[in-house]
Amino acid sequence: MLGFVERTVTQVGTTMVTIAREVGGIVVMTAQVLRALVPPSPASLDGRELVKNLHKMGNRSVPIVALTAFFAGALMLVQSAPFVEKLQAHALAGWASGYAVLREIGPILIALMFSGRVGANNTAELGTMTVTEQLDGLRALAIDPVRYLIVPRVVAMMVMLVALTVIGDLVSLVGAAVVGKALLGIEPATFYHSVVDNLKPGDFLHGVYKSIAFGGAIAITSCYFGVTVKGGAVGVGKAVNAAVVAAAVSVMLLDFFMTYWLG
Amino acid sequence: MTREHPDAPRPLISFKAIGKTFGTKQVLKDMTLDVYAGEVLFIIGTSGVGKSVTIKHLIGLLGIDHGEIWFDGKRIDPLPERELAPVRKRIGMVFQNSTLFDSMTLAENVALPLRKHKGMRQKQALAEARARLQQVYMADYADRYPAELSDGMRKRAAIARTLTLEPEVVLFDEPTTGLDPVNARRIDRLIRELSGTHGVTSVVVSHDLVSIFTIADRIAFIYQGGVRAVGTRAEIQGSPDPVVQQFIAGKASGPMETPGF
Amino acid sequence: MPPTPTTTPRPGLVARAAAAAADRVEAVGQVAVDAVRAAVELWGVFVSTIAGIYRGGRPRGEIVRQLHAIGNRSLLFITVTLGFIGMVMIYQACMQFMRVTGDLSQIGLQFLPLIVSDFGPTLTAMMLATRVGAGIAAEIGSMKVTEQVDALRMSGVLPVDYLIVPRFVASIVMTVVLSTLGGAVMYLAGGLTAHYQFGVNTELFFDPELLRPAHLILGLTKAVAYGAAIPIVSGFCGLRAQGSSEGVGTATTAAVIGSSFAVLLLDLILSVIAFVLFGEQLR
Repeated sequence: MLGFVERTVTQVGTTMVTIAREVGGIVVMTAQVLRALVPPSPASLDGRELVKNLHKMGNRSVPIVALTAFFAGALMLVQSAPFVEKLQAHALAGWASGYAVLREIGPILIALMFSGRVGANNTAELGTMTVTEQLDGLRALAIDPVRYLIVPRVVAMMVMLVALTVIGDLVSLVGAAVVGKALLGIEPATFYHSVVDNLKPGDFLHGVYKSIAFGGAIAITSCYFGVTVKGGAVGVGKAVNAAVVAAAVSVMLLDFFMTYWLG
Repeated sequence: MTREHPDAPRPLISFKAIGKTFGTKQVLKDMTLDVYAGEVLFIIGTSGVGKSVTIKHLIGLLGIDHGEIWFDGKRIDPLPERELAPVRKRIGMVFQNSTLFDSMTLAENVALPLRKHKGMRQKQALAEARARLQQVYMADYADRYPAELSDGMRKRAAIARTLTLEPEVVLFDEPTTGLDPVNARRIDRLIRELSGTHGVTSVVVSHDLVSIFTIADRIAFIYQGGVRAVGTRAEIQGSPDPVVQQFIAGKASGPMETPGF
Repeated sequence: MPPTPTTTPRPGLVARAAAAAADRVEAVGQVAVDAVRAAVELWGVFVSTIAGIYRGGRPRGEIVRQLHAIGNRSLLFITVTLGFIGMVMIYQACMQFMRVTGDLSQIGLQFLPLIVSDFGPTLTAMMLATRVGAGIAAEIGSMKVTEQVDALRMSGVLPVDYLIVPRFVASIVMTVVLSTLGGAVMYLAGGLTAHYQFGVNTELFFDPELLRPAHLILGLTKAVAYGAAIPIVSGFCGLRAQGSSEGVGTATTAAVIGSSFAVLLLDLILSVIAFVLFGEQLR
């Protein structure tokens, strides 16, 4: 019995220490990125790397995000379908599903998918570079890995996630409209008016502002776990795992604070 | 043409009683070693005695626990990461596994430091990179990715990349390990050429006995965390120390203590 | 005599566009072929896993170890993430209701069926897809590239029996358990938000009047389906890992995306089926 208690306490303690260390490391990396960007100068951001990353990340994530967004819109409509049927309120379906999608479900699901696709890939890539000493190779050439590798990735991920959220918002509304027509026979025109008449630009911006923060959080966590990889292939797998978990937690936390803050 | 101890008394690089511990394992204890301008110095010893660790300290990839490291009259071991950049431009390093960036072609790899430090635009840097690759006979492979090439080719490209910054000192971490004899001798010739024609100081970590006794000006033998013997090829070959003799003869049994045996 | 310059005529715009389109079609075709092949292999892993439950051949105590790895080690993660999203959802819903009717008394009533039939299991599974899916792929992928999987084969053990079956069983059990926990945390966090932020009466909020058996059945079905899908997709990705650290990274990434996507797909399919089958009872 005492052994069990001792084990549990030790385990909880170790977990807490690990979490504290990771959070500390992430804060330090955030500070390094900010210091590289502020004040802005041509040296603080490698243009070629930025373009390369934007291209790669965009290519990689647009199809999966579009599909996810379509599903998210469709799902929100299916969830509201019983109430819409009960109230016979076809005119409200577009508003009800659109509100949830633009402000909450869209940005969150797109961010989670983005983290799984782009963030995890980024961790794996940086992790592989770390275990094969390519980061030391950069440092030996007097090139700062933070400025050369990390800052362009962080900027690219933030820009890309905002763009994807805007695209995803549109796609998800289409998804909701398609399912609305198929499942409840709501005319696209009715759906369109329901969205346009009831949703404000603020609802759309609410989601877009969140996506800026989500993009930053995903970028920093994925880079942090990538450059701190230890121990070959096993280490890279573990790092990707840790990165997606950390990204999911930070997205949820930021979502909470941003929702209150944006109102 | 073994050179005698250089006349200039002040060494270019000095390790003064440095120590380094990883976890519970003390790798270096009070190691002291001087490197003089223009020479080819080999650091030799069995695997895991801290040869690579020693040279990584020199460009701040690792930090020492105690002691001092001096380069060109300036103490460099306490410098923070940011202030190491000027040192790293003067001391280049060729890593054991080349560390070429695998998302870039050889030309792009060599062009990167040119673009970052010589203020070249990408086009100009790529053209220059091709010329640099020509010097190591790799121009034909300029547009290939590192993964498509052999170890020897990668190593030569890595040397070309390191030389772009025209360093005064080049550190080689086991440059011939894992290469076939022909490629290994080519690398040897390249290292010798660098010190002959460009006046570059080379510090080579190796346990390749052929390289050691072909191109070294001086040899430092590391044993149990310190320098056991240092001298010219002839001095090391004629050393009365049985441990040194066992290593250079490559004998399995002898007075040498190696962990794990 | 100066050499006559030989210039190959540039193909016309139409021809070039056609060539580009043909390349594109070919690329899309290749993707489709790969996707079909992957789907067939995935189905094979699933069938083999089901058969493996009866075949046995898994190490003793492995299911218990996996229950611990998948379940206990996700407790904090699920509690934190679902708690926060529960608060946010109620906050958003209250803002939405205030804009129209200003009557918040219905919030909790409507929230519970949604949590039970959808948000609880789906959001829990989305979180597990990242934590557990990536973990499974990383573990199995590392074993694959270090040739431990081949070593298993050499000793006459099917990798599916040894590696995937225990994770499959443990994942189904734990997804159901954690969905219940996640749903409860969401409900509680939402109720507290409604009470402290918007002054909604807690008794009014925690009223289960609208909950129907159909909601419970649907939620449970979803949890089981997600729990089954995550280890199958991630294990499959892990077994396909090739190369070294890069291969493990790719496998882990594919597992996160694959299992998250499987969760969303299953959610949509099951939700539509449920609406068509018992739309009446879900109201």
